[in-house]
Amino acid sequence: MKEDYIATFYSHYEAMCFKKKCDQQKIPATLMPVPRDLSSSCGTCVLFQCEENLLSFISGEKDDIEMIVKCEKSGYTYKYQAENS
Amino acid sequence: MNAKKEIIIISIASAIIGVLAVSLVWFGNPANMGFCIACFIRDTAGSLGLHRASATQYIRPEIVGLVLGSCLLAIGKKEFSVKGGSSPFTRFILGFFVMIGALMFLGCPFRMILRIAGGDFHALFGLAGFAVGIAVGVFFLKRGYSLKRTYKQPVSEGLIFPAIQIIFLILLIASPAFLFFTEAGGGPGGSHAPLLISLGVGLIVGALAQRTRLCMVGGIRDFILFREKRLLIGFGTILLSALIVNIALGYFHPGFGTQPIAHNDELWNFLGMVLTGFGSALLGGCPLRQLVLAGEGNTDSVITWVGLLVGAAFAHNFGLASSGDGPTDAGKVAVILGLVVVTAIACANTFKKKA
Repeated sequence: MKEDYIATFYSHYEAMCFKKKCDQQKIPATLMPVPRDLSSSCGTCVLFQCEENLLSFISGEKDDIEMIVKCEKSGYTYKYQAENS
Repeated sequence: MNAKKEIIIISIASAIIGVLAVSLVWFGNPANMGFCIACFIRDTAGSLGLHRASATQYIRPEIVGLVLGSCLLAIGKKEFSVKGGSSPFTRFILGFFVMIGALMFLGCPFRMILRIAGGDFHALFGLAGFAVGIAVGVFFLKRGYSLKRTYKQPVSEGLIFPAIQIIFLILLIASPAFLFFTEAGGGPGGSHAPLLISLGVGLIVGALAQRTRLCMVGGIRDFILFREKRLLIGFGTILLSALIVNIALGYFHPGFGTQPIAHNDELWNFLGMVLTGFGSALLGGCPLRQLVLAGEGNTDSVITWVGLLVGAAFAHNFGLASSGDGPTDAGKVAVILGLVVVTAIACANTFKKKA
């Protein structure tokens, strides 16, 4: 089943690259500011929809990704967090 | 938090900030300068003796409050996160030139709004320059600009900056002879609200800005990037609420004539804020946002503050800052140099090959 995920990045450009990658994989993805309830920082994130087993495949080069969370009614579930961040 | 709720919170917080900023003028701050991050850091630099412009020397409690308000709320909400290491020296240089641009215009982006709300139409040229500067920054952001990632740091590292602000507050209360203070009537540094009121307003604004991520750069940047209006609504609400209070208190004097702590050289009002907008977009936030982030434990923002502080000291030691009479020749050279340096930083961090 497809779920909503949010990936955050260290720069706007990395978010743009990730969005491009999603587009190539035909994964619905949107660039947007990081939601306030997710973080107090104000960068760019990508909201995307995919099945959980595709997550590691599309995240690929995780060096660029700060974290990935699953969006749920009760809040966010952390799926990936970069080391030392 | 859904978008609608977030907009309501930002609007209420911004309205309060606008009212508080003008109320500081009523309590004694200079006209159209209830809040100005650049001017207040400049005054603090002067009080510490980093420059000797006798008209601008006072440790501004608003800055202390702002940092502590952000810090305390971040700790309370478990958002105090100590990190840094994202090109610190580049950030120092950017902070330095953001201050040079702001002191050419005579105000940070926050004061730019307050000047417009007071009827100072010269500030409209600053606003145009600010928007252009951010648009240029966005041009680089879209092409790969990055100052690289931050790394987690020890908690003690993040607590040093709030501790320094407490030391500044103690110094202000003790007023030892080695500090410099502008005498009443001796210039902007001599006009200030009572300490506890300035500190209290600073605490509230710091907490509200932390909660809402209010940022003068972020509003225009997010609108250009995503057509996202949330932060821009905050920007507009501060303007509106400050305007209403200015009219109510009789502080609204619209026109292009003589305006308080402002000059009428529109080209340099524009270019000063191009530099400030461009530099702030590359830093990821305006000077207000940098202080809020520093309070949350971001040590890169602390380095930016050091850049702003040193920039202010240079601006007054070498006659780069404008006055009511207009910009100086040295200041014009510094702004052009700043635009060249900031462009070079943008290019170097955009078009270089990936390591």
